[in-house]
Amino acid sequence: MSNVLIIGEIDGTEIKNISQQVAAVAAGMGEVTGLVMGSGISEAGMKLAAGKIIMADDSSLENYDPVKYASIASHVAKENDIQTILLGATSMGKDLGPRVAAELNCGYLGDCLEASSEGFVRPNFAGKVLAKSKPSGTVVATIRNNAYPAGEAWSGSVENYSGSITDSTLNTTDVENVGSGTVELTEAAIVVSGGRGLENAENYDSMIRPLAESMGAAAGASRAIVDAGWVSHSHQVGQTGKTVAPELYLAIGISGAIQHLGGMSGSKCIAAINKDPDAPIFKVADYGIVGDLFEILPILKSKF
Amino acid sequence: MNIAVLIKMVPDTESKLEVNAGELSDQNFKYMVNPYDEFAVEQAVQFKEAEGGKVTLLSLFSEDNSIDTDLRKMLAIGADEIIVLRQNGYKGDKPLANAKILSDAIKELNVDLVLCGIQGIDYYQAATGTMVAQMLNMPNISGVTSLEYNAGILKAKRQIEGGLQTVETATPAVVTCQKDMNKVRFPALKDIMMSKRKPFENKNVENIDSNDISTSESSLPPARDGGEIIEGETTEEKVDKLIEKLKMEAKVI
Ligand SMILES: Cc1cc2nc3c(=O)[nH]c(=O)nc-3n(C[C@H](O)[C@H](O)[C@H](O)COP(=O)(O)OP(=O)(O)OC[C@H]3O[C@@H](n4cnc5c(N)ncnc54)[C@H](O)[C@@H]3O)c2cc1C
Ligand SMILES: Nc1ncnc2c1ncn2[C@@H]1O[C@H](COP(=O)(O)O)[C@@H](O)[C@H]1O
Repeated sequence: MSNVLIIGEIDGTEIKNISQQVAAVAAGMGEVTGLVMGSGISEAGMKLAAGKIIMADDSSLENYDPVKYASIASHVAKENDIQTILLGATSMGKDLGPRVAAELNCGYLGDCLEASSEGFVRPNFAGKVLAKSKPSGTVVATIRNNAYPAGEAWSGSVENYSGSITDSTLNTTDVENVGSGTVELTEAAIVVSGGRGLENAENYDSMIRPLAESMGAAAGASRAIVDAGWVSHSHQVGQTGKTVAPELYLAIGISGAIQHLGGMSGSKCIAAINKDPDAPIFKVADYGIVGDLFEILPILKSKF
Repeated sequence: MNIAVLIKMVPDTESKLEVNAGELSDQNFKYMVNPYDEFAVEQAVQFKEAEGGKVTLLSLFSEDNSIDTDLRKMLAIGADEIIVLRQNGYKGDKPLANAKILSDAIKELNVDLVLCGIQGIDYYQAATGTMVAQMLNMPNISGVTSLEYNAGILKAKRQIEGGLQTVETATPAVVTCQKDMNKVRFPALKDIMMSKRKPFENKNVENIDSNDISTSESSLPPARDGGEIIEGETTEEKVDKLIEKLKMEAKVI
């Protein structure tokens, strides 16, 4: 058994679900210490599923700052004789994890699909190859969302962080939320993606977005339509876009190029709509409808 | 403004991935510039055009010369020089060791800004840039979709869950580039010709010991079988059957 540090993230007054997932993974690996950083976080931070929680609560920590956060995390790791540091593979976790590893001069494993005392599994080549490893020394790992069920909120003993906070020249001047109610692609249970078969941006906006919304899904895209400027890159699924693993991936007018498959073939269920019966997407789809999307989508939309 | 851009050579996305006895075979890989790194080069050249200074490309790779033409294309975009650190036994999955070698090389360049790609599309670690920042004692901003520079201050927007975070910092700093950042230019013929005369330096570097975690076993994920094509008299019938199956068989809606 080892000593495990989990770095929790706060969303408003709650611990992020991904952090509770990480806490559940950590519980199977050893003695768990939780670290939460931010400003005015004590109430939410207490909910982290860890036996001992260290709270770094300071106005200078309000926004994520890799310089400050990494120095606190590595200080806490050293003080508590930590061998394993786990974070969610979020925009913060993926930025913070490598910096902490460099500060501790230890190994780093990004975006793990599996993590346990048996070892770690992480995707290479957008998931086309799986790499297993069994670290013997100290390791920092980020864990992909939805890989594990979340731990229940409960509060362990709480301690305040007593070390110093490093100076940093970074300064967050704005945090902009794009459209309330939009589901984040990498966190969504259902992803509805559109490709070049839609013919133009207007059709993406009038067909894919509303369908996604009524299914409670996130809207994804192939690179072809990102490159064409129909949607922003934050929607792109694939080797040079996001990797998603939802319960349901619905591919509409997408051929299924190898680089696209790389980003979504880990989905639990794939359904495809394409007019070409030989489109490669059908080789990975659990269900397919061969036909014209302009005929199929209005009917599909009417069912949700 | 002097800028270093870190360029990773990665297996071409069409490369066949084969695993033999738990080991990924890299025999037949053809290499290309990591796509995200091209955005970094374009951004560096735009800053140079506005501010003056020099853009140095830095790549750590094996002794395989087949990449030289591809790297020269980055010079045609407008970078000034390239240094390739040649390492016998180079591996792309050792971010800690590679970041150490790269950061030591950057120290000799005296730069105001280091630009990287957000991640290598080979091992997907997304680690090297941030590690370099720590080793150079610089701040890092990752996943940046727009970057501005004005009188020593960088202003970056980075992708976060459901939105964008705007971050400012003084230089020097390390920024890792995400796709929306810019549109990479197509070099004119004249620039391609010029690039052939730009400095292209090869330096040998030693292997170093590191705490990087080695892969004990690689495997290919279980292949997905093609599933069922849904038949029906009318489109409506097909759609109804699809929804039924998603609900009752797959239980995903
Ligand atoms: C280095 C590199 C990285 C890449 N990274 C990515 C990546 O991350 N993500 C990605 O997606 N791609 C990526 N690509 C691009 C990829 O190779 C494909 O070009 C792209 O995925 C194609 O997008 P598409 O399926 O929308 O378009 P197309 O391949 O043009 O497919 C359109 C499909 O729509 C169907 N269609 C047309 N009209 C209709 C209709 N009326 N009804 C139903 N179906 C219709 C067609 O039959 C066709 O199958 C990358 C490529 C390279 C070289
Ligand atoms: N061997 C290398 N040589 C130069 N730059 C590298 C190298 N490895 C990684 N990088 C840089 O770091 C980024 C992230 O790579 P990685 O950490 O491997 O995912 C890349 O986009 C490059 O900018």
